[in-house]
Amino acid sequence: MKLKRPTALAAVMLKEIRQTARDKRVLAVLLVAPVFQLIVLGYAVNLDVNHVPTVVADEDRTAESRALVAGLVAGDTFDLSEQVERASDALAEVAAGRAAVAVVVPHGYARDRAAGRPVQIQGLTDGSDSNRAIVSQNALMAYATQRSLGDVRAQLARVSAARGVAVTLGGTVVEPRVFYNPTLTSSHYFVPGVAATLLLIVTIIVTAMGLAREKEVGTLEQVLVTPIQPLTLVLGKTIPYGVIGLMDLALVVTAAMVLFDVPLRGDLPTLFTGGALYLLSVLGIGLFVSAVAKTQQQAFMVAMLFVMPAILLSGFITPIANMPEWLQPLTAFNPVRHFVEVMRAVMLKGASFGDLLPQLAALAGMGLSIFGLAVLKLSRKLA
Amino acid sequence: MSGGSRVNRIRAIAQKEVFHILRDPQILVFALGMPVALILLFGYAVSFDVEHIPLAVVDQDHSSESRALVAAFTAQDLFELVAERETAEAVEPLLRRNVARAALIIPQGYSRDVHRGETATAQLLLDGADNMSASIALGYANSIALAQSLGRARVQLGGFEMPVEARVRTLFNPRLESSVVLVPGLMVIVLVLVAVMLTALTVAREYERGSMEQLFATPVGRLEIILGKLAPYFALGLVQVLLVLVTGVVLFDVPVNGSLALLFLIASVFLLAMLMQGLVISVVTRNQMIASQVAAISTLLPAMLLSGFVFPVDNMPPVLQGIAHVLPAKYFVDGLRGVLLRGNGLDVVWLDLLAMGAFFAVMLVVATKRFQRRVA
Repeated sequence: MKLKRPTALAAVMLKEIRQTARDKRVLAVLLVAPVFQLIVLGYAVNLDVNHVPTVVADEDRTAESRALVAGLVAGDTFDLSEQVERASDALAEVAAGRAAVAVVVPHGYARDRAAGRPVQIQGLTDGSDSNRAIVSQNALMAYATQRSLGDVRAQLARVSAARGVAVTLGGTVVEPRVFYNPTLTSSHYFVPGVAATLLLIVTIIVTAMGLAREKEVGTLEQVLVTPIQPLTLVLGKTIPYGVIGLMDLALVVTAAMVLFDVPLRGDLPTLFTGGALYLLSVLGIGLFVSAVAKTQQQAFMVAMLFVMPAILLSGFITPIANMPEWLQPLTAFNPVRHFVEVMRAVMLKGASFGDLLPQLAALAGMGLSIFGLAVLKLSRKLA
Repeated sequence: MSGGSRVNRIRAIAQKEVFHILRDPQILVFALGMPVALILLFGYAVSFDVEHIPLAVVDQDHSSESRALVAAFTAQDLFELVAERETAEAVEPLLRRNVARAALIIPQGYSRDVHRGETATAQLLLDGADNMSASIALGYANSIALAQSLGRARVQLGGFEMPVEARVRTLFNPRLESSVVLVPGLMVIVLVLVAVMLTALTVAREYERGSMEQLFATPVGRLEIILGKLAPYFALGLVQVLLVLVTGVVLFDVPVNGSLALLFLIASVFLLAMLMQGLVISVVTRNQMIASQVAAISTLLPAMLLSGFVFPVDNMPPVLQGIAHVLPAKYFVDGLRGVLLRGNGLDVVWLDLLAMGAFFAVMLVVATKRFQRRVA
């Protein structure tokens, strides 16, 4: 199939742009909504666990136990929500959802420590939020270890004095050096991924629903009786949305940098090459959807059927390395995964075109084949 | 107008909507297939546990002590050795290209410091781009180093017990499986997708095609149209709740500690609130594409992000917390987890029910008001 009349293509594109621009609300959906969503998402996506509501049952009620509790809630992790008398009361607080952690300091805590006997403090966490439970458990154990180390040092000092030689810990210390995101800010990690998924949602729904709308309203037949070739029609209806997608990319990257201080360490050409190749896949899938869907409702649902798994399997929220072994290779066929990697690597790590060659090649391969097949299928169907 | 004929009219509208759904089996496939597909994905693919962190090692000390440290790092499933290099410069490209997420550098003199009883320092380079994995990796590394230190102290002191130990136990989800937590959260997404998205589109479609005027020309009242339109989707939503619940219990051992009746009551109130919101969107936008995007922003996004489903609401800035406390999604996830996992009764979840009920009432008023004004 060959494109015979370039002017016809321009005419279809112009019609599509006019139609889109005429309805201010559609334009708002295409250009304002992504930025708005980025802002909400950027502030919401934060997996840090801080200020866990903690109920404490101090059964010992001594100066030592109070010091232990005070030290525990002094940091950012635990917030004292209530102090109760007995362990059972603390448990009830957690069961009612008023506290996420119950800490019980047993009776005899001060006495046992003074006598050099090991003591156990109890931590009960609410497993209905597993992430928070894990983090608070680790924090509680780390706090106990930290308290213990003080005792170990004191013991070592006593042994040194008794033996007359210095016995020291000779401790191994790990000194961290964090690359790319030294403050470990959540938004720096999530926002580039959010941008990739927003681009997906906006463009795929518009392309999928656009043609279905013409079918529904009946204007598709009218266009098909004109001398315009199906190929011209498909390309003319898609190219403007590709351009809008690239504009959206520019907007969300700017918003990420201005609002969330996400750095841009790499170069823009690499980022936009990745973006353009990614949009080819996304628009192609949108076209496939519009080829099968008869109504806008169907188009929307089928698009969602692709969007939800694609986002989940992109490594945007949870790392791909944590997925089951059999599932991991399948994510190689997910364009969203590759573009999320490109966005993160270019913005945070300053990766160059050469560094990202595997991802870009995958995006190009998928983009060209999906888009090509979709255009062919749809033009055949319309012809 | 007699009561009997009112019921008949609602039934007629509902029947018309059921025909719409049945004529278009894709909708049914979507409405019933989506929950199962999502639950499988969430259950199997989404895990917040960070393990198998790819680790590069630079051992410049070449001693038994340095090898012991490397062995301690790779002994558990936490780190996985992917590369060994001679210099620190050589590992940086590995981090940049995502080959490794962390790099352990043991400098020359590490074993000497250990033997002298001085603090022996190893460096851990972390890919901070993924801040969660990085901070978890650092936590693992610190506890490995601490274990090494305590092991040596134990030898020097001739054995001792940890003076203070925290014994931790998890209530309600003892194995801390994320799937147990995610399945109740998933219900909110499934219900939102069908309840809001489909109702938002179905009424907008009638406006777009002009058939809404035809409906208004019939003697059917506004409230009757609303109830009739929503009834089939309400029933569909309840079937979905059942579907998600059964799949969750059978495949992922999600416990049902509270009462099933209460669970369905919570789900029903949430469904009503969502259906009504979908209707409001539909009546206000009257355009399917805009309705779908507005619905995505005002319901799907909050369901995924502001419900506490994955991201804790307590960490959000005050404005977002305020929004989260108005929308029903947070209360639904709260109540559902309470009933399913903690076995809470009405005495605990009544507030969640009340909040969702209030939202429903407001939406109902808006829907009937807008309906009248725009069509008259």
